[in-house]
Amino acid sequence: MSKANKITIFILIVLLIIFPLLVNPYTIQVAITTITYSMLGLAFALSLKVGLPRMDIAAWWGVGAYTTALLMKEGISFWLTALIGGVIAVILGLVIFYICIPRGMMVFFIFCMILAMALYQAFGSVPLFGGWGGITGVPAPTIGSFAFIVKRDLYYLGLFFLGLNSVVYYLLYNSRIGRAWNAIGSSLRLSRSLGIDVVKYRMANVLIGNFFMALAGSFFVAYYRAALPVIFNFQAGLFVLIYLIVGGIYYSLAGPILGAIVVNFIPEYLRFAKDYQSIVISSVVIIIIMFMPMGILGWLNLKVKPRFFRQKGIT
Amino acid sequence: MTLSLFFQLIVNGLMSGGMYALVASGLTLTLGVIKIFNFAQGQFYMMGAFITFAIVGTLNLPYPVAILASLIMMGGLGMLFYFGIIQKTMIQGFFSTMLVTVLFSSIINQIALFTFAYKEQTIPAIFPGILTIGDVSFSIGKLVVILCAIAIMVILHYFMKTKIGTAMKAAAENMDVAQLQGINAKQIFWITMAIGCSLSGIAGAIVMPVTGAYLAMGMNVFMRALLVLMVGGMGSMLGALIAGFLVGIVESIAFHFVGYLNLLVILMSIGILIYFRPGGLLGQPLPIPGE
Repeated sequence: MSKANKITIFILIVLLIIFPLLVNPYTIQVAITTITYSMLGLAFALSLKVGLPRMDIAAWWGVGAYTTALLMKEGISFWLTALIGGVIAVILGLVIFYICIPRGMMVFFIFCMILAMALYQAFGSVPLFGGWGGITGVPAPTIGSFAFIVKRDLYYLGLFFLGLNSVVYYLLYNSRIGRAWNAIGSSLRLSRSLGIDVVKYRMANVLIGNFFMALAGSFFVAYYRAALPVIFNFQAGLFVLIYLIVGGIYYSLAGPILGAIVVNFIPEYLRFAKDYQSIVISSVVIIIIMFMPMGILGWLNLKVKPRFFRQKGIT
Repeated sequence: MTLSLFFQLIVNGLMSGGMYALVASGLTLTLGVIKIFNFAQGQFYMMGAFITFAIVGTLNLPYPVAILASLIMMGGLGMLFYFGIIQKTMIQGFFSTMLVTVLFSSIINQIALFTFAYKEQTIPAIFPGILTIGDVSFSIGKLVVILCAIAIMVILHYFMKTKIGTAMKAAAENMDVAQLQGINAKQIFWITMAIGCSLSGIAGAIVMPVTGAYLAMGMNVFMRALLVLMVGGMGSMLGALIAGFLVGIVESIAFHFVGYLNLLVILMSIGILIYFRPGGLLGQPLPIPGE
């Protein structure tokens, strides 16, 4: 990491920490949802590294959320339930991905879509999960006697989770495993010929993603104090894809976070559009895809940056 | 479960299965030839049903006109969709194009909600009456729907053997070589897109007199078309038909026993199926984008 990058990241972290002190509670609320969606977007970017587009985000998000909601109502501490949710997501994922990952990308893609839809139906119709009304009245997470009830505290809790998530992913991307993932993503055949066990590495990738998505679900329940099946429907997983494409598909860490910020905060300024909001958003994203193929970050890097910083070697 | 109920469930399953097969074959065609995943397929189905309502219910024209109109209009819309949006985003890869179709389907959904699909619409049955064999009775309308679905699949099967169909198959196999042989790629692409979308439209038009037209029907049928794609294997029309009927029957019987968990039951059986037969029941998997 270069010095300029370090300084930028330091400034960003400081900004994120003082952010809730400057704005009104409603904006903090939007920021908390943005944090959850950023975590999901990071998991999507992670699996895209190995060439697997996953459409089952809503499913694992829901698994984490429902585990936390169910266990916290039984009086178990939030931190333990978050861990248990992650482990359950990993174990369930192990069974499902054992079937569909060796069958290639297309089978994985479609199977995951069906899984997300099926789990959505299951959340809604099994009495244990509270039916379509969901589970409400979940207690707030606590450390000792301190409870996370105020929006600002929840924001910091989310920031902690997001930071943990990003650091783990950053370390993974720069390790031997990350290099193997990159190889699989750029050419499947070449990486096979180099002796990389594609199935095993893909498996590790999606299971790590599962764990962090379940964590995002647990955090979401801590904030929302309820788990409703409507939140975890299939469309929620599709929106995560939008964040990634808007942010920049080749930027695995910054892309999804920037995209989530842009897509979540723009609607706040589209109040005048009211009912036609989602039409406007969809059209804007289609236009972004057509004219900014690399996303906002790619556009900044390739089109805007060269105007201000002269590249080395060119006078 | 009585015999009569069992046959009722089978007929219901066959009817919805025929629709799944039609939508899934459109999905398969676009996936195989253009290498895009058209999420808007279900919305075209929904629009086909509403066009039928507009023509039969509001304009009081005969039913065949409605079928023809939804066929042509959905084909035209698919063509416009291809030339307007898909063509410009195709170079950016599989995910971007897929996302564009997702967004397009959500735009259609919203516009439909505000303009014509705000409530469920029905028309009087085109084929009223009940067929009774022994003590088992069937509704004739449902049987007609099943027959129509089979007929369209047969026509599609023979269409794939004509010159254009062969060119489509060649393009699905290897685009570069097909172009070297003198196949006009652009033409094949828009024809495929138009056929894929009109298949969904005609399915909606056929099923409308029985089930009525409502907004959520698009997403529901799309979800089941994915199941059909997994069971039937990609790229085979016969496989899509058989798999469609299979999924329809299993779904309708499972719904009778476990309610809305039926999707989970089908998912588990499909997991077992593709563990042993990765290519589906009898399909040769098409060349897959991205691998």
